[in-house]
Amino acid sequence: MSFLKKVLFVIMGLSLSGCLAPVNIFNTASPIAAAESRLFQIILVMSLVVFLIVDGGLVFILIRNRSRGDDQTPPRQVYENRLLEAIWTGIPILIVVVLFILTVATMRAVAAPVRSANDVVVNVVGHRWWWEFDYPGLGIKTANELHMPVGTNVHLDLTSVDVIHSFWPPQLSGKFDAIPGQTNTMWLTSDVVGEYPGQCAEFCGLQHAHMGFTVVVESKEDFLAWASAQQQAAAQPEEALAQQGQKLVTEGICAGCHAIEGTNAKGMNGPNLTHLYSRKIIAGGAAPLTEENLAAWLRDSEAMKPGNLMANVRVQEQHLPAILAYLRTLK
Amino acid sequence: MATQVETMPRVRTPLKEQFLDWVLTTDHKKIGILYLVTAFVFFLVGGIEAMLIRVQLAGPNGKILGPDLYNQMFTMHGTTMVFLAAMPLAVGFGNYFVPLLIGARDVAFPKLNALSYWLFLSGGLFMNSSFLFGGAPDAGWFAYAPLTERAFSVGSRMDFWVLGVMLLGIATTIGSINFIVTDLQLRAPGMTISRTPIFVWANFTTSFIAVFALPALVTAIVLLLLDRQLGTHFYNVQEGGNAVLWQHLFWFFGHPEVYILILPAFGIVSEVIPVFSRKPLFGFMTVAFSSIAIGVISFTVWAHHMFSTGMSTASLYFFSADSFLIGVPTGVKVFAWLGTMWGGKLRFKTPMLFSIGFVSMFLIGGISGIHVAVVPVDWQVTDTYYVVSHLHYVLFGGMMFALFAGAYYWFPKMTGRLMDESLGKVHFWLMFIGMNLLFLPQAILGLEGMPRRVYTYPAGVGWELENLISTVGAFIVGVSILIYAVNLVQSLRKPPTAGPDPWDAFTLEWTVSSPPPDHNFAEIPTVRSRRPLWDQKYPELADWKAHR
Repeated sequence: MSFLKKVLFVIMGLSLSGCLAPVNIFNTASPIAAAESRLFQIILVMSLVVFLIVDGGLVFILIRNRSRGDDQTPPRQVYENRLLEAIWTGIPILIVVVLFILTVATMRAVAAPVRSANDVVVNVVGHRWWWEFDYPGLGIKTANELHMPVGTNVHLDLTSVDVIHSFWPPQLSGKFDAIPGQTNTMWLTSDVVGEYPGQCAEFCGLQHAHMGFTVVVESKEDFLAWASAQQQAAAQPEEALAQQGQKLVTEGICAGCHAIEGTNAKGMNGPNLTHLYSRKIIAGGAAPLTEENLAAWLRDSEAMKPGNLMANVRVQEQHLPAILAYLRTLK
Repeated sequence: MATQVETMPRVRTPLKEQFLDWVLTTDHKKIGILYLVTAFVFFLVGGIEAMLIRVQLAGPNGKILGPDLYNQMFTMHGTTMVFLAAMPLAVGFGNYFVPLLIGARDVAFPKLNALSYWLFLSGGLFMNSSFLFGGAPDAGWFAYAPLTERAFSVGSRMDFWVLGVMLLGIATTIGSINFIVTDLQLRAPGMTISRTPIFVWANFTTSFIAVFALPALVTAIVLLLLDRQLGTHFYNVQEGGNAVLWQHLFWFFGHPEVYILILPAFGIVSEVIPVFSRKPLFGFMTVAFSSIAIGVISFTVWAHHMFSTGMSTASLYFFSADSFLIGVPTGVKVFAWLGTMWGGKLRFKTPMLFSIGFVSMFLIGGISGIHVAVVPVDWQVTDTYYVVSHLHYVLFGGMMFALFAGAYYWFPKMTGRLMDESLGKVHFWLMFIGMNLLFLPQAILGLEGMPRRVYTYPAGVGWELENLISTVGAFIVGVSILIYAVNLVQSLRKPPTAGPDPWDAFTLEWTVSSPPPDHNFAEIPTVRSRRPLWDQKYPELADWKAHR
């Protein structure tokens, strides 16, 4: 896609068939983001008009009033014009009033509705550098992948265990900060099944760049199926190698930070691994979840995500096959 | 108008004496030059940091800088450009030209003036010395707590930042009080408030803002230092502190700071545009009072940096409305500059080109500033490259263009030499084109979901082309700055032929020799209007006849 076409696309929110749907704030999948982007488009058009008038006027004056030849006589000395000045103070005030009305109207349109029994509530906890998603009503704890049913109001309670993060899924909503010591609320709703990327937007240290997440909007049936699978404790592995891996993971250093339901691993600092293999990304989106990436991560996570808080853990090559075999069973 | 300086036999002063002369000087012109030269060096340092950032982001999965070095680079780029380049450049022009513009022999407190410069230099060197002691500050120029707390920022990087900023804060406070007293007390006889040149109005307003905004910053950093060094808990949430307190204190300083930077720029172009249009500034009093309005409102908009921190709806309404409001006096200025050019006889010398560039680029910065005051839009674009684009249109497209306008305009006064016009024009066009290539794609990147302050990004998310164009733009800007440096050196080697008034200008600094004699005015002039030199040159069109 050419750059100009892309600019047009982004600004006008046009949909280009045949392209992979790009991420931008105009390619929305929710009435919240749609209202925000509509407001932006209106304001962009107003801005363009103002810009063209003022900069057009500037260029016109530059051409009209350029000094010609050797004319040394001074032009007419004009000092002020009270009426003109009043007009160009008044017009911006009018524009500002209109902008404020539009702002308030959109803020009211996207305000969170009252929580009702059918809504889904998710506690979103920012960690350096990954996202924890807890569904208190459903007893689910997962990481970096927020599942939600289509056409349902989802309320997020945002907080953080360390520094300030900001939760931003551009196609679904503007961002809100996850701040330690306080709970901010935001809501999501979407009518379009799909997967939408999001990312931490507040600088939070070394790996701010790799603090991504995915919002999976799915049909109500798919969501229920996902939820009931997530509610299960981890299955007991049958394969000998995996059993060996289970012992290494749940009785070793891993359990200090990670929890796996149904085992002795009850750590709180790292992502919950009970259903690790149901997810598509690892390490806050630093890599897709594949066996190679997982192996690389366990060998030397520092190389994949420098500064990550698991960097001092390096799994020895001899233990790797067993641990990978066990993790594979955590579906 | 004395020119005896040039007729004296040239005796080469020994290097040691020359050196001591600069170190011990309390002359506002020498201190002004010290400020300008030092700040330009820091500007080059901050520029190199910016180039490294752009090289790292030129393509996906950049490997030039790791996350650690990248975070130091963007932190020091922001800190350097704001505190060590932009502010002191404006202070340098203020130092050199405020006394000349108001017909005074020096500032009110010359020794304090010297102290202010040396504190600034120490603060800058101290902060940059951190590169040698375990790394530079790395938490962004607004250093959000609790990321800056001991638990999350080990080593002494942030202590360097805190103490460096503290020195700079003291320097600015001293300098600002000095300017306020100078502006109020030392104007030449007959220079009433309404006849005071617009650059001095801007200097006065800026100094007032600094004196009232800096205490909030100093409070914020002292609390941070106590947290870090004595284990207090002001921002430490785990012990009952408040994570958002920093943001309120910082932005209570930080937003007025934007106007500390941009008002002197307004002042410079409000001097340059009339001279090169050969007309008085249109609506002088409206422009002057719009500066005051901006100064006052700037103290009531700080929380527009915090729309996504979970504020109450009522506060959101207030800070949104107030931020819109600040657009009104700003717009008034833009119209006044257009009104000044209208009907003029425009001479497109380099200072004028940079002023015109300023008006059109600042317009984009101002308009995108309105965008981020729209709360629902800000929820989307805050903390993205959209904001990076916006702030650089204001501070680079706006402020730096105006500072270059001032640099070309006043260079002959400071050195007695004119800068090369052709090189100046090449500098202007390269910088103008380069900065648009640099910052326009960043606005698009923000809308495409690229957060600011990420040290890398993956391939395939659609950010490659924009980032590449942006990096190319950065190099074009870099080349334009080199051309400026070449022009600077070349012009200094030329004979001093500029004469006292090369631009057919209006104000008092052009009535004395270039460079001005030691104490500026052999006889303090008496002022009858806003354009004393104009009156002298065009008595039949004198301003005082029109009662200005």
